[in-house]
Amino acid sequence: MSTSFVNPRLSVVLLALSLAACGSSDPEVPGPTPDSGTVPDAGTGDAGGPDAGEPDAGPVDAGTDAGAPDAGEPDAGPGDAGPSLAIPNVLSGFGLFTGSPANGGLVPVEGNVPYTLSTALFSDYAVKSRTLYIPPGKTAHYEPVAALDLPVGTLITKTFAFPADLRKPDQDVRLIETRVLVHQPSGWEAWPYVWNAEQTEATLATGGRTRDVTFTDLDGETRSFRYPVPSKNQCQQCHHLLDGQGNQVMHPIGVKARYLHRTNTYGGVEHDQLEYLASLGKLDRLPAAVDLPKAPDAFNPQAADLTTRARTYLDINCAHCHNPKGTAGVTSQLFLNFDNTSVFNLGECKRPGSAGSGVGGEFDILPGNHAESILWYRLHTEEDGKMMPQIGRTIHHKEGSQLIADWIDSMTPKTCK
Amino acid sequence: MPRLQWTRATSATLLALVGALSLTACSDDDNTTPDSGVKVDAGTNTDAGTDAGTNTDAGTDAGSVDTGIPWDGGSAGTFSCEGKAQATLNFAPGQEEALQDQVNTLAECTTIQLAAGTYTFDNAITIRQKGITLVGAGKGAKGEGTGGASSTVLVFTNAAANSNGLDVVGDRFTVSDLAVWNAKKDAIRVESSMDVVMRRVRTEWAQADKESNGKYGLYPVKSKYVVIEDCEAYNAADAGIYVGQTQYAVVRNSVAKQNVAGIEIENTQYAYVLGNTAQDNTTGLVVFDLPGNPIRGTDIRVKNNIITGNNRNNFASVAASSSTVSQVPAGTGTFMLASRRVELTGNTWGNNNTVDVAVLSGLTIEPNPALWDAAGGNFASSDVFIHGNTFQGGSGDNVDNGNLSPQLRPLGAALAALYTYGEQQGAKGVEHLVWDGVDPYNHARAEVNPINICFADNTLPAGTVNAIADLDLVAAGELAAKGNFAGGWALTRHYPATKAEFACSGFSPALTIGDNIR
Repeated sequence: MSTSFVNPRLSVVLLALSLAACGSSDPEVPGPTPDSGTVPDAGTGDAGGPDAGEPDAGPVDAGTDAGAPDAGEPDAGPGDAGPSLAIPNVLSGFGLFTGSPANGGLVPVEGNVPYTLSTALFSDYAVKSRTLYIPPGKTAHYEPVAALDLPVGTLITKTFAFPADLRKPDQDVRLIETRVLVHQPSGWEAWPYVWNAEQTEATLATGGRTRDVTFTDLDGETRSFRYPVPSKNQCQQCHHLLDGQGNQVMHPIGVKARYLHRTNTYGGVEHDQLEYLASLGKLDRLPAAVDLPKAPDAFNPQAADLTTRARTYLDINCAHCHNPKGTAGVTSQLFLNFDNTSVFNLGECKRPGSAGSGVGGEFDILPGNHAESILWYRLHTEEDGKMMPQIGRTIHHKEGSQLIADWIDSMTPKTCK
Repeated sequence: MPRLQWTRATSATLLALVGALSLTACSDDDNTTPDSGVKVDAGTNTDAGTDAGTNTDAGTDAGSVDTGIPWDGGSAGTFSCEGKAQATLNFAPGQEEALQDQVNTLAECTTIQLAAGTYTFDNAITIRQKGITLVGAGKGAKGEGTGGASSTVLVFTNAAANSNGLDVVGDRFTVSDLAVWNAKKDAIRVESSMDVVMRRVRTEWAQADKESNGKYGLYPVKSKYVVIEDCEAYNAADAGIYVGQTQYAVVRNSVAKQNVAGIEIENTQYAYVLGNTAQDNTTGLVVFDLPGNPIRGTDIRVKNNIITGNNRNNFASVAASSSTVSQVPAGTGTFMLASRRVELTGNTWGNNNTVDVAVLSGLTIEPNPALWDAAGGNFASSDVFIHGNTFQGGSGDNVDNGNLSPQLRPLGAALAALYTYGEQQGAKGVEHLVWDGVDPYNHARAEVNPINICFADNTLPAGTVNAIADLDLVAAGELAAKGNFAGGWALTRHYPATKAEFACSGFSPALTIGDNIR
């Protein structure tokens, strides 16, 4: 599937219409150290996370702030704290794009760099286009595992849209929402903008909205559902890692080297996305190409073996919560980050800590039997209270669910008893 | 008193029931003829073990007692709104969108005041801020899905899939005087927060017995200093009132009806469950630890509650579920599993068809001890002090309402099998207190009550013969599964309330939970 057409001038959907994609933005993989770009409260340092060079404003309000300072823990941090960016009421207020979907297309301004992920998080088959804006004079630092270390002032956008027919992803496309991740001096914030019916402007909808969506899927079936635009606070359900005090600290998810290490077309020329950012002076410490990690396209059997593709799918879709520093991971001890090497924590023959309602089986993964594996059940079902991820998905991802089923079924069967 | 209803069950049926007991793992053996001639001598148990549990882990929690923090709805945690600007935002029905927008940009210590009426939401109300108070005009009455002149009802019937009603992370959160109706998942979920107050709140789903109802009504989890009082919870497909992985919780003067579990205290330290009514649930009150959870539950005081008539058929989601409450037989008044230092006093039990109080080992749901390591191997139950309560009678005479399912609710099936045989031998139904007899520390079976369950000064129905049962569930189940019901029944022990080994006076140090609460 998939396809991806990369042309910044493409009408509505900016770039890369990678069909199997993401929920809230792109998941976070745990990695040994969190992205130190957003540092937690209370003077806890970066735990080794090389935040060097871009001293982020020090103590952050754990991401819960909404502008309200974390009383008693002032932004005493060194460096470039500076004033917070005022959040505009309309998307155009950021100055990140020219035009509009209704008028020749939404075109990123120079410096607002479109990018595509090699495998993206699934969000109800929405097609997504992403841009990364790093302010003049600032530079992101390469990270081998965690998200890129992005400086204060960075803006990440993700626009969600639905074509009338997924088989013609660049025709009759309607934009639903654009989410903007803003790296403020106090930490990351997420702001949702909802497109109007005329497709001329997107307006800040802090509380989220719902929109009815109908499209024809890859099998020619009509799908209708109510698409929830998450509220600002809901963004944090996916975009977080726990700091040393157990506070949820907001982090970007998808901007990781292994997902960015792929080509894209800029000015009619193909470049590796990481190298392109480096050539613009927006990314440093980039290792040699041969040393760059690469997550495959999970849905391209030629790209990698089944296990690698399944692990990649789980990594981008689930591991932002299911990792040792995510709340769901802490609770469940189910770690789906690609670099987790514990078979037990990956779910094999593992009973859930507290599964809640019926979820198809006794074990997270019953090797050889996807139908009795809770992991598969949760990502396949559309039942309230059972489906995963908790938000960002209303309908199920046939192709993803099939990938995980195939992977579990390929394991040597065990009874786990 | 109605009799056990499955007296005529064939031995083949009983065999199937017991054979499915997850713990026994027994084979279908040849010996299928019940040895019906052997009668139990309930008095033959040796009294050898008088150590009152000192070999168990009972004492090892010393030090983990209530430290005297008077958590009672005040600010016991580290965050306070005192001396800070405290704005109030007012909303009326029709302003749901504005409310959602503002909820996402709240300043600390904001009060959200909701006028009377009905509010219809298409998504969760997600709060991530400290010091927030959400207050309505009243919780209304059971069954009201619309707000009246003096009630505020938040309706989530058509909300986004998989969303909660209120979804809160933030210290010093208070919600009061409103109802949450038909949430997709949990009605009010508060996580990782200190100083949480839920007062005069009703959570309800419109239809009874629906597996697809939301799972939890009032759901504070991974929190500290929680007060739930004067609340009501109806029709949750798991627990109406649930306190999980929390330290210091009061559940007081609340009502839980028509849920699978009325009130559930899970992996929680220092809980005070006072003056509540838990009726018409599958199980009224549940205290347990689950495996793999880092908080070791302990120090739970259950006082002056009414836990009667909990005979609702279990409607929790199953499908080979790992859900613990889905395995509880209907008619269970109080269910404790992997619990320690639990005191039950001043409560009333009656008309619970399976049993008033059951005490079980965590190994009955997870037999691999290693999986309990996260909280220091917390699978054992020990130190349960049941005193000064009233048992009204009418309980233990219709296990799981006769709807037996060895696969889904093996405990009920096993109890039914054993007591069906027992009834033929003159037993009068399941005793008020049942211990599964699974001793994780492998005391000699000759030792009575090695886990230190104390049963003292309780009021029992007139004519009560035995009040306490030690099932020796594994061994009895194995024999019964081989068709030897007489042998299985013989292994179970049945004691009068005066049995010396159970006439103990609690544990040390004694609980002080609630002593600081007015």
